[in-house]
Amino acid sequence: MSMTSGTQTASVEPLLSLEAITKRFGSFAALSDVSLELRPGEIHCILGENGAGKSTLCNLIFGVHRPDSGAMRFRGVPFQPSGPADALSHGIAMVHQHFSLVPDMTVVDNVLLGRERGVLNRKQCARQLEKLAIDYGLPLDPYAKIEDLSVGERQRVEIVKCLIRDPSLFVLDEPTAVLLPDEIAALLDVCRRVASSGRAVVLVTHKLAEIKKIADRVTVLRGGRVVATSATPAADIDALVRAMIQGNVEALDSSAASVLGLAPVQRARRDRSTTTKTEALQIDGLTVRDSQGVTRLDNFTLTVDRGEIVGVAGVEGNGQSELTAVLSGMMTATGGRIHLGEAELTGLAPKQITAAGIGIVPEDRHAVGCVTGMSLAENIYLNRLDEFTRFGFLKRTALQREAAAMMQRFDVRARGPAATFFSLSGGNQQKAVLAREITLPNLTCLVAAQPTRGLDVGAVAAVYDHIRAASTRGVAILLVSSELDELLSVADRIVVLYRGRIMGACAADPARREEIGAMMAGHAQDHVQGNLHA
Amino acid sequence: MTALDQSGKTTARFTVRPALLVPIAAVGFAALIGLGLIALIGVPVHDAIAAFIDGTVGSAYSIAASINRSIAFALVGFGFVLANRANLTNVGGEGQIAVGGIAATAVALDGHVSGLPLGLAFILPMLAGVIAGAVWGAIAAIMKIKAGTNEVISTLLLSFIGVWLLYWCVQSPALLRKPMTSSATLPESLEIPDETKLPLLTGDYSFPLHIGLPIAIVIAVVIAVVLSKTILGLRLRAVGLNPVAANRAGISYARTVIFALASAGGLGGLAGALMLLGEQYTLKDGFSSGYGFDGLVAGLLARGSVTGVIAAALLFGFMRSGGINMEMVAEVPTALVVVIQGLIVITLAGAALFIERWERK
Repeated sequence: MSMTSGTQTASVEPLLSLEAITKRFGSFAALSDVSLELRPGEIHCILGENGAGKSTLCNLIFGVHRPDSGAMRFRGVPFQPSGPADALSHGIAMVHQHFSLVPDMTVVDNVLLGRERGVLNRKQCARQLEKLAIDYGLPLDPYAKIEDLSVGERQRVEIVKCLIRDPSLFVLDEPTAVLLPDEIAALLDVCRRVASSGRAVVLVTHKLAEIKKIADRVTVLRGGRVVATSATPAADIDALVRAMIQGNVEALDSSAASVLGLAPVQRARRDRSTTTKTEALQIDGLTVRDSQGVTRLDNFTLTVDRGEIVGVAGVEGNGQSELTAVLSGMMTATGGRIHLGEAELTGLAPKQITAAGIGIVPEDRHAVGCVTGMSLAENIYLNRLDEFTRFGFLKRTALQREAAAMMQRFDVRARGPAATFFSLSGGNQQKAVLAREITLPNLTCLVAAQPTRGLDVGAVAAVYDHIRAASTRGVAILLVSSELDELLSVADRIVVLYRGRIMGACAADPARREEIGAMMAGHAQDHVQGNLHA
Repeated sequence: MTALDQSGKTTARFTVRPALLVPIAAVGFAALIGLGLIALIGVPVHDAIAAFIDGTVGSAYSIAASINRSIAFALVGFGFVLANRANLTNVGGEGQIAVGGIAATAVALDGHVSGLPLGLAFILPMLAGVIAGAVWGAIAAIMKIKAGTNEVISTLLLSFIGVWLLYWCVQSPALLRKPMTSSATLPESLEIPDETKLPLLTGDYSFPLHIGLPIAIVIAVVIAVVLSKTILGLRLRAVGLNPVAANRAGISYARTVIFALASAGGLGGLAGALMLLGEQYTLKDGFSSGYGFDGLVAGLLARGSVTGVIAAALLFGFMRSGGINMEMVAEVPTALVVVIQGLIVITLAGAALFIERWERK
């Protein structure tokens, strides 16, 4: 299905063209028969859900993978990059989803890494950086250490690392996932400037709002195939979404839609004024200092009532990880106490915390949430394996039967309960982890950290449904997320974390988005309110 | 490994999986190189082969001796596989054998033990060996849990301590050295009393297979079952694959690590006890020489499979026996057998890679 093809740019010689590219990993076709043209001066957005093949496409262009069939042409000449170095030498640069910077080194040194031979010319490099700063609006202190920079500034370093090579094609893989709202706007501005200097920019994203703002053309991938290309995305955003998720936009969960940027955020309309408040989780003065003595969490105090959903907002790295690690018993707090109802949980081991009735959906699914080398059934019951033993022998049939029932209930799609966990898609893995934690027999509190990260729309909606259902059952829910839209549409109340401290708290009201955004950037609540009302 | 016939179509001539053929080819290849080396040093090849065969299967005695040797390799190998399930690498078999042998000798030489009924006379020294080995393994486990010491380093260094402890025990009359009657008295222990020696299966010294064989078979079955069918095996695997997630799910890392390394050590200690109580009867310096490392290699090559350990242990056991006979009869240095063994290890490891690629296709 091809929509309007660009009429005004069709005559331009493409910079890079992909012709019927297919890439398989084993029997799985990550990309099938993908054709695409990238033209100088355009911002080309690649849209698709997780697992649609976006990253594979980028990696092919950048020479990380080689296609199984099909051909690429760069400036009209057949192009088969032997690796990233080869792609770079052709003038193709890429900013990966995960930063590859050495935290201990300065901006200049990171930029020089892998470029210079012999003597480092830091001064010359710093001058180049200043020029780029002016040309593209990328202010950076060349001699600042990476570890002292914010996430947005670190990304600027990655971008500068690419631009200093003067690339003709610039690929950004999901660059906005980690940024604050105003940082996203600044990044899109940089993309526009880069494109207007005659380069082609490829922007990979799954957020439609960004596409609306910036894209010249859009290619939508689904299941490794190009399902739509369009010249003017704003014209038919609904069609794009339909192409992306192969479903009815109207039927989308409203929260999932708003996180995607499809619909305005709607306040979760839940009247809690009549329900009697019973305190479930009480966190009192929780403080965490790391081994270097840096305070990661500073006097964090919060109460979550039964049936309440409290959101913890903030840019990542502001104490959220420490908060969930302490609540799950994986880290010992330097100070403060945790109670669940009457029971004190301070300093208990994970096993006892689970027994007390706290379910944990950890932010790092792979490191903490599951054992990817084991089966789905074993993972779903990882914390309750004892229930499936007789004289120390594992009752595998019973385990698989129960797990199959869970798969049905939580819509976990896999070949079967015996499937290896890593063969599942991210969404199904997360649903399995959620299933395990939310079905704890005496669940009174659920701590969910970034529960929808990297999930596709369907899975996001399912996760919200389960969280809401649990809260209706009276479970207290602490939802930690860096997606403000998610918190605004799911939570009842939001607290904002900045450098380990609570900057303020307010109702999860979309009307207060600016206020919350300012607190996320480190402005105190009363100050923010004063400014907004002035 | 498909062959082209005249019409150019591929015919599946081999229906046997390469998983079986490749190791055999690897052993054959290494043996060929070994024979070449023997020819190079000027020993008639057929003499060497005859001596090798005589030493491995030439007599009832040599067969039994080879199997007894294999049992020690296999026990250490089982321990390696068990600990490796929890992603722990126990390279301390040598020291665990040494302390197992010391403990078994000490208990066997205790005046009260030899008089015990119901086989306790040899069971107690055997258990002492197991416990000593388990303690040796547990020390490494505790160091890992408390201080994060890598178990490869700690088990290896504990091996040196164990081996030198053995040296001390047989050198010092205050410990296990037999009373010195003349300056020529060897640095070794007294021979253990007959009651504490392991019963022979046939009762005939010309076929000295001892009770260690059925013990090892039972242990093999138990370990195979524990690893594949029990919750314990699952916990070992969970801790091995992702200790953080296992801990979050309430599986104790510390307990699992202690269990894994103590079991591996205990099996090494048992190997030492069996060697001492079943064959050697007197504790000598260097009685464990190389057994721990051969067992380790058997465990490594088996790649997690109990049957694999048995196969590798038998291979090495018979090769060692044959090699010793080659040295005695055909004057081929045993070192050459060790070289061939090394070649087998390398070709098998390469073959494993080959099989993996083959099966992925």
